[in-house]
Amino acid sequence: MTTEHRAPGGGTIEDIVAVPDNEVALESLSQWQLARRRFRKHRLALIGLFIFGFMVFLAVFGPLIVPFNPMFLPGAIKAGGDQPSLAHLFGTDANGRDVFAMTINGARISVAVGLFSMIIAGVAGVTVGAVAGYFGGWVDNVLMRVVDVLFAIPFLFIILVSSRFFGKGDVLSLVLIFGLLSWPLIARLVRASFLSLREADFVDAARAVGVGDRRIAFRHILPNALGPVIVAMTLLMASNIVLESFVSFLNFGISETQISWGNALANAQGALSFGDWWWAFFPGMAIALTVIAVNFVGDGLRDALDPRSRE
Amino acid sequence: MTVTLDRPASDAPPRADILLDVQDLRTYFHVMDGTVKAVDGVSFSVRRGETLGVVGESGCGKSVTALTIMRLLDIPPAEIASGRILLEGKDILRLPEEQMRHLRGNEIAMIFQEPMSSLNPVFTVGNQISEAVELHLKVKHKEAVERSIEALRLVGIAYPERRIKQYPHELSGGQRQRVMIAMALSCEPKLLIADEPTTALDVTIQAQILELIRSIQQKTGTALMLITHDLGVVAEMVNDVVVMYAGRVVEHGTVDEVLLQPKHPYTEGLLASIPSKGMRGQRLNVIKGAVPNPFNMPKGCNFSPRCPYQFEPCLDLDPHVDEGGGPAAACWLWKQAPGYSIPARLHEAQVRAALRAAEASQVEVSPVLAVEAAEE
Amino acid sequence: MGRYILRRSVQAIPVIFLIAIVSFMLMQAAPGGPAAAFNQNPKISQAQIDGWLQRWCLERNPDVVGMLREFGGWLGVYNCSGGGLASSSGMPNFLPAFLGGGSNGVLHGDFGFSIFTGQPVLGMILERLPATLVLTGTALIIWITLAIILGVIAAVKRYSLFDQAVTLFSYIFYSLPTFWLGLILIYLFAVDLHWLPAQGIINTRSPFSFNTPAYWTDFWKNPGPALVVIGQHLILPVMTLVAVSVAGDSRFVRSSMLDTLSQDYVRTAKAKGLSQRTVIFRHAFRNALLPILTNIALEIAFLFSGAIVTETIFDWPGMGRLYFDGVTNRDYFLLMGILLIGSILVVIANLAADVIYAWADPRIRY
Repeated sequence: MTTEHRAPGGGTIEDIVAVPDNEVALESLSQWQLARRRFRKHRLALIGLFIFGFMVFLAVFGPLIVPFNPMFLPGAIKAGGDQPSLAHLFGTDANGRDVFAMTINGARISVAVGLFSMIIAGVAGVTVGAVAGYFGGWVDNVLMRVVDVLFAIPFLFIILVSSRFFGKGDVLSLVLIFGLLSWPLIARLVRASFLSLREADFVDAARAVGVGDRRIAFRHILPNALGPVIVAMTLLMASNIVLESFVSFLNFGISETQISWGNALANAQGALSFGDWWWAFFPGMAIALTVIAVNFVGDGLRDALDPRSRE
Repeated sequence: MTVTLDRPASDAPPRADILLDVQDLRTYFHVMDGTVKAVDGVSFSVRRGETLGVVGESGCGKSVTALTIMRLLDIPPAEIASGRILLEGKDILRLPEEQMRHLRGNEIAMIFQEPMSSLNPVFTVGNQISEAVELHLKVKHKEAVERSIEALRLVGIAYPERRIKQYPHELSGGQRQRVMIAMALSCEPKLLIADEPTTALDVTIQAQILELIRSIQQKTGTALMLITHDLGVVAEMVNDVVVMYAGRVVEHGTVDEVLLQPKHPYTEGLLASIPSKGMRGQRLNVIKGAVPNPFNMPKGCNFSPRCPYQFEPCLDLDPHVDEGGGPAAACWLWKQAPGYSIPARLHEAQVRAALRAAEASQVEVSPVLAVEAAEE
Repeated sequence: MGRYILRRSVQAIPVIFLIAIVSFMLMQAAPGGPAAAFNQNPKISQAQIDGWLQRWCLERNPDVVGMLREFGGWLGVYNCSGGGLASSSGMPNFLPAFLGGGSNGVLHGDFGFSIFTGQPVLGMILERLPATLVLTGTALIIWITLAIILGVIAAVKRYSLFDQAVTLFSYIFYSLPTFWLGLILIYLFAVDLHWLPAQGIINTRSPFSFNTPAYWTDFWKNPGPALVVIGQHLILPVMTLVAVSVAGDSRFVRSSMLDTLSQDYVRTAKAKGLSQRTVIFRHAFRNALLPILTNIALEIAFLFSGAIVTETIFDWPGMGRLYFDGVTNRDYFLLMGILLIGSILVVIANLAADVIYAWADPRIRY
């Protein structure tokens, strides 16, 4: 919901009326400073950042706020559990577990899986994409065929198989599986930027003065290709958070001795058909809220880092 | 602060020889950072069958003026804050969109700067020309196709029967601009607005396209509003000149008046920045500084920060072009000493020589580029 | 055009071959591997297992060469009943049977048997295919129509109340986990309101399973009500699939439209005096359609993933549900079969996207 206007001529208003380099611009802000300034103007992104920050806070300190042990049962054991009340804000489940505590404590695993798998995918994707895009030729050909293959296999198919067969029910294996399977998108983005930037004048200039391959790739080209990659990584984190919850919901992910939002939902599927909506509602809302927040941040980053491709 | 900025709307009957009369036009853009007064009180007129040149640096409001006349700006963000645009005495700013559409392409047509992107890539050339013909001349498809072929022939495209079946990407830039001209002229408009029609073309093609526009104009009697930053083109093509700076008209008059006896220091600067043979080896004269920040216009005369002759009134009071016949300039220096023209640095002969040289060599005369070069 | 399609198809072959390798390796690498799974299943007789081992070159503890043989056997290039790469008639084994090739392996339409049920994999997949096609086909049609209508209107009436409502809607639904949305819809419309059935494709009281011969006999006796029953069961899963997809795609359509609406040629069209409708649909939308078509073809893969989610939640007897059951039961041959067929469909969809693009855009020479 940006309020930037485009002129009919195709460019922005600035293109038509040619806002010149004026006193403000003469402060010579770097690209990143400008991006930060634009991001700060993006209200939804700031809200998203705040909510996501809150979720990270819960992930780190949640257990200190509301202690929760999947085996510890504060409420009464009874079929259907208790409705939300003052004693149990989000109600309890059939085992007498407090849904509020489950929701707060589920943040840790969900956020951790999202965040760390994003980092792994980012590093892998940037490396592969940069190598393929910079060297081209057969290197590019081989790497891109691998990417093609990973793209052709429906993602969820391979995620389910891997989680079931290779997962050990802990955070680490999920982080590795998600991270090592979701990099191709990023690799493609980075490669595409590299292919176009490789021909750019500033790269020729660097090469002309004898800068080495690795330095050109990582110091000269990469920073210029980074904008879309950061946006894609943010959105990847959002989708991996959903993915973790789904995989755990199907009991292929985090083991039942730990609690994640997906786990909490797995618990709830049967309960819903008896009308016990609160089991499923609150953990699901936590996922939705986190994902909306991350998507907002991604949108803000897109507008900030990539002003030309707004929307 | 402004002095006699708003001219009283003249209710005098329109002069018969005036086709288009723009009066005190103001087009503002409301953007995130504030309001840009892209066109801020512009008045000029185009006579039937004649050519008006609109000159100025990039961003001075030339294109926005043209788009306002065509009513092609999105409102919002654009706002037409005031003014009248009279086409044969009828204010087209007040026309309902339905009637305005009837005028577009039919009575007023426009050619754009970018021939490469101004044609729709997924339709054939013939398709795009006959579309307008069918719409405005209410003819059958077959006749429209024949008229399209004729139009292409008129603009000098070889084998027009074959060309109409081609897609824009199969044509060169010059050919595409010819197609644009054919499209614009296919319904025989009374007024043709050409917004820098040759800027994006090769130097060798530029002259051909200009020649084409002129010869067709003579044949059809269409009036032409030619927007350009190229004074060589102006000297070649136009009858009257309007010089724009930062959304204002700073000087207007006939081509001889403006080019040979410039009254505004800005016009003088534009003329001085034309490279010429006699100047080989010398530094190019350029206008110092850059177009002012539209969010932060200087007080008084907009041009004062860049003006070599700036004196007291320039810093406080906004000069304004005097209306009525005869040449005029928005300059305190000229207003206070009308006898004083600015020949101190430029002589008529020098200008003529410069313009001839520019024409002959077809060097693109772009004062804007010169300004940028000076800043480096 | 024909040559272009042919060239692209040939280019797809190595990718499909790589997919086959990946599917196979995934199963081999799994702890225990396929060899472990068929030991404990009481539904399968020892005779079946022995015949099977032989037909597929399976060994209890294969070495590298053994694994290569297994892969060759599964793919159909290796003749497991002796003869190596040659079939029993002496011709290369990978050739079709009528040219003297072998009969085993994927190349000959033989995807093996389910470790869990003992049924042929291909038969199981084909049995489940109609339900998936009904679900995803319905969803796809509704989803594309809605996405285009919402996206185009939002782009044309930019910053209007409608546009902002669409944006808000898409932000929210784009972020909702599909499976959770499905759960909530079941709770709302089936459990709480009792308007719609919660799960399955036909009534739970029905004596037949969907897509069995007995079911179809019964179906043709009285097709009208039977179709209504399927329609009722379709509503919730389709809503689930559509809500999330439309959220993403209406934004995509909107931005494609905004992009073309700001092009110079649209300004030219307006300058010709064309009506707004002509400018929007003939000039802008025709160009926006190119990326939209491509995007739709690329999202076919997403549709499969969506099918897994919805079919699992709604107990829909399609391929997605079959796959989920396969993962649960570690049914390796079944999984390899679905992975391969699903991936080939995605490759075909991508190819179709390229072909459509080349056909629709005169600038592309092929």
